[in-house]
Amino acid sequence: MGCKFVPAVCSYCGTGCGILFEVIDGKINSTIPLKSHPVNQGKLCIKGWNLHEYINSYMRLKTPLIKEDGTFQKATWDEAINHTATELNRIKQRFGPDSIGVLVSAKITNEENYLAQKFTRAVIGTNNVDHCARL
Amino acid sequence: MDIINQVEQLFIQNKIDIFLGYKELDGHLIPHGFTPDNLDELKELKVSENRYSLEKIATHLSEKDPDLKIGIIARDCNQRALNLLYTWKQLKPENIEIVNVNCCPSPLKPHPDCSYLEPKQSGEFKKEHGIDYNAEPDSLMETFNNNERFSRWMYEFNKCIKCYGCRNICPVCFCTECSLEHASLIEPGTLPAEVPIFHLVRATHMAGRCIDCGLCEEACPSHIPLRLLYREVNDIVSDVFDYKPGEGMEKSPFTIIGDDVVLEPKPMDFQIQGEK
Repeated sequence: MGCKFVPAVCSYCGTGCGILFEVIDGKINSTIPLKSHPVNQGKLCIKGWNLHEYINSYMRLKTPLIKEDGTFQKATWDEAINHTATELNRIKQRFGPDSIGVLVSAKITNEENYLAQKFTRAVIGTNNVDHCARL
Repeated sequence: MDIINQVEQLFIQNKIDIFLGYKELDGHLIPHGFTPDNLDELKELKVSENRYSLEKIATHLSEKDPDLKIGIIARDCNQRALNLLYTWKQLKPENIEIVNVNCCPSPLKPHPDCSYLEPKQSGEFKKEHGIDYNAEPDSLMETFNNNERFSRWMYEFNKCIKCYGCRNICPVCFCTECSLEHASLIEPGTLPAEVPIFHLVRATHMAGRCIDCGLCEEACPSHIPLRLLYREVNDIVSDVFDYKPGEGMEKSPFTIIGDDVVLEPKPMDFQIQGEK
């Protein structure tokens, strides 16, 4: 039986608390705070303590979904990205760039957030960009 | 290093299947399970100044495999927790091998953490804000009158953000069903926490249970002096029953469960089985 601890950063908000995943036989079993992390110093909020639950949740989405005729259908990443790009282009051409808004997330990295705002401003052409940590 | 040889011998003599110690990863000393499959890795075995509840990890492992033989690095507090877990039938003493190490100060607490070396402490917040009961540890409970003590404790409890960290990190919290998750007692998803119900439920459950490791107070984001609270509770247990949790293999006076305690898997496992 194998047991290891994998350090990570909590993905629930922008604070960036250090956590350790307890991995038993390749499966994440629980989350504990990383004691030597400079941000949270061995403390966590209730969301951080339960971080492992969504990773193993049976409700977790594993493929992109496209809504067709009112219901979500499983799709490949290529299909989903093509569909999104086509629709964004159509909306931009018909209603103008300010009809589009982009909401990004603390669950992705700083760099990905930077890319998202660059995409919003430079590619779509709007300043309608916001972040979940500001809600 | 001496410990490494000790652990290697335990592996060679087939006394353990896994050893819970610490190793360094990206500059952090984190807990790690060393196995005989990878003996070279044993060179990285270290003693951490940061205390993690290795015995709690051991209970997680024996939930999956009740016959797994586990070796553990143990300070005094780990040893007390193990004794208590044995008496509550959460771990089998014949399956646990201990490698003792010294109690030592940690970066979080610049003093030894062992209750036999350290007097009762009040919380960090109090120290920072000039209300220091540390000079005379008994002063909070003796010098101050009931009303002052009551308002002080209520103030401390009101800071609670209900993270459940004190329960989650506690090496001797193992109940499958927790009173703190009982919806009619503690309403889920509301803040402030039910003051003082939340804290006093936990405090009463710590009677005859708390081995005074202080991990709860270290994990509390609101700096509630939990260690002091649980020590006060256990002083009563000590006075009335002459029982100190974890000191030996004596059963708690509050033992109400019988010999046949079955470790049930956590609800999460059922969810995963239901997948697909």
